Amino acid sequence: MLTQFIYAYISTVGFSLLFNIPKSAILKSAMVGALGWLIYSEVHQFSQSAILSTFLGACVVSVLSEIFARKFKEAVTVFVIPGILPLVPGSGMYNTMLALIQQNFSTAALIGSETIFIAGSIAVAILLVSSFTRLIFLKKI
Amino acid sequence: MKADRRRVLALAVCAGEIMLKNGAETYRVEDTIVRICKAYGISNVESFVTPTGIFVTVDYENGSDEPITFIKRIKTRTIDLNKVSKVNTFSRSLMDTRYSIENGLRILKDIESYPTYPKYIRVFCAGLASSFFGALLGAGILDFLSSFTISMIVFLAVNYLERHQANFFIQNALGSAIASLLALLFVYLGFGINLDKIIISSIMILLPGVAITNAVRDSISGDLISGTARGVEALITAISIASGVGIIMNLWIHSLGGRF
Repeated sequence: MLTQFIYAYISTVGFSLLFNIPKSAILKSAMVGALGWLIYSEVHQFSQSAILSTFLGACVVSVLSEIFARKFKEAVTVFVIPGILPLVPGSGMYNTMLALIQQNFSTAALIGSETIFIAGSIAVAILLVSSFTRLIFLKKI
Repeated sequence: MKADRRRVLALAVCAGEIMLKNGAETYRVEDTIVRICKAYGISNVESFVTPTGIFVTVDYENGSDEPITFIKRIKTRTIDLNKVSKVNTFSRSLMDTRYSIENGLRILKDIESYPTYPKYIRVFCAGLASSFFGALLGAGILDFLSSFTISMIVFLAVNYLERHQANFFIQNALGSAIASLLALLFVYLGFGINLDKIIISSIMILLPGVAITNAVRDSISGDLISGTARGVEALITAISIASGVGIIMNLWIHSLGGRF
């Protein structure tokens, strides 16, 4: 669990430098990404549902980003974008493509629909969290 | 007075342009433009922003003056969240300290030419991001090292294509094709073990995380046009990555039978 956290932390530091995040925010946004991944992997271990665990992971990422954005007076995207990236279903995309090439159409449909739902769950998580924070704090950051 | 309004508008549009070019959400750009105009005492301002253009109109309070409209077409978009954050802070600081318009423009020019992190650091970070993501998926040390190398090469290739103004479909398709070709080569030469883990972690740096996030954030602020546009951007990026991987894997499986 600790190794997962460290790997996710370093990975998110890499993503945040790729997106030129302000220097002061790099370590914070990596913290957001690593905690999001931790929730994802823990929930995945005990529920075996990639969709649920991605949803909860993305929820954690967006809640933390909204809090950090208000606390450190930055744009929310500075924290959300690198934090969310480890959850984006790259492996689902790859496996769908592979199944399509091998003409395993039923597998492709299965994995493909799951991938779409995972992407959708990320979207819904961001949507829910930022809608609620807008209800709570009327001020946009 | 008229010239003054024009210059305020030019300042606001310049700020909006920097933000939109560097990956801000459209509602944030609209807010910034309105906020800057209000800071200089122009309250009748309407801004309409889509991912490809900015439209701003200023009307006068009593309607005695002619309205002024600015249109700015945005052709290239990259991601540089540092600039977004700096312009955001600048527009908020206008509330407390009112810079003269010349000073404001100078600050914006500084922000626009503000350097990104040096290239070697970004290349190294591309490697770091993907290889540690591979470690999250359970890759061993060999896979870790090969995805580190491959993603650095992919980043350099995509960067080269971007400088030569290839469109984003070509960038991502070629990037992921290079990733899978090199992954096949590395596994063939014995530098890697799990082909899937190497490819998945190497294409991580191409995935449309920004487009997905901004699509959702735009849609919930009611910017349905921008939300749809960015959603389509995310979809096309995903398709282009998949097609790049697909072409290479297809060639490999159907010409060599999926073996080495």
